[in-house]
Amino acid sequence: MQLVAMNRELIVEKINYFLVDEFEVEKDDIHPSANLKETLELDSLDFVDLVVAVESNFGVKLKGDDFVNVVTLQDFYNLIEAKIN
Amino acid sequence: MEKQPKKKYALVTGGSRGIGRAICIQLAKDSGYSILINYNHNEAAALETLKEVENAGTKGEILKFDVANAESVQKTFDGWFQKNENAVIEVVINNAGINKDGLFVWMKSEDWNSVLNTSLNGFYNVTNYLMQQMLVNKYGRIINMVSVSGLKGTAGQVNYSAAKGAVVGATKALAQEIAKRNITVNAVAPGFINSDMTAGLDEKELKKMIPVNRFGEAEEVAHLVSFLASKNASYITGEVININGGIYS
Repeated sequence: MQLVAMNRELIVEKINYFLVDEFEVEKDDIHPSANLKETLELDSLDFVDLVVAVESNFGVKLKGDDFVNVVTLQDFYNLIEAKIN
Repeated sequence: MEKQPKKKYALVTGGSRGIGRAICIQLAKDSGYSILINYNHNEAAALETLKEVENAGTKGEILKFDVANAESVQKTFDGWFQKNENAVIEVVINNAGINKDGLFVWMKSEDWNSVLNTSLNGFYNVTNYLMQQMLVNKYGRIINMVSVSGLKGTAGQVNYSAAKGAVVGATKALAQEIAKRNITVNAVAPGFINSDMTAGLDEKELKKMIPVNRFGEAEEVAHLVSFLASKNASYITGEVININGGIYS
């Protein structure tokens, strides 16, 4: 997949879509300050699936280390935005 | 575009000879997987195993790499997955191992390191590479070939006992990490089994210590491994299963 600059809005929209669609996260739970592990009930193994979802949606490959400072959904949006642009 | 079904493989490291070969053949008979036969030096033996796998009615492939060499493992798999985009390796049998026996007091660091590099680091290099795919696939079987030496310790095999014992610990820990994803991790600990590795041993003398009163056969080990690699073994994980004629339990 070719990397293309993507605006923040589209990134957020895509991420929110796959969180609901593939990770069974409740739509109402999705807000930028939501804690990925606690609020969204994603366990550490789910991060492996997040890496795959990010790769297929955005064409960037994340590593385990990339998640070190990712606590909230906002952090996750920031990470993807930084990786893409 | 419609998603193609994945082509499923079982990988056996050190699959060209001995117990590894018997496992390849048994999996070919029982499992329905295509068999990936890893070897390091002996291509002729690997091809012989492949022939027997094909005779059992299954597809197979030989794959050369040294499990102890992280770069070689990575490059080989990168290339292989590029050619086989639709492949998933569901079963990994970490069987490759070497022994460099001798009294510890005289043991050279290279004999210590090479045995640990193959058994312990080989487990890391191969399993770690395939882990992400297995987790995403949400199914897998990892079977680590250890040894009675790794459980009870064997004089003259401090390096081998250390390496196999370490893999036992890794087996139990990894089993807990990934059980939720339907991936089981078990170890099989053979005793004296007829193979190249035991060819120099005095069976007549040693069998006196074995309750069953004989060395085991590679095929007997392979049946156990084949069961653990099957769906029927879904609730067995983090276990070390002895197969040693009663010599140690």
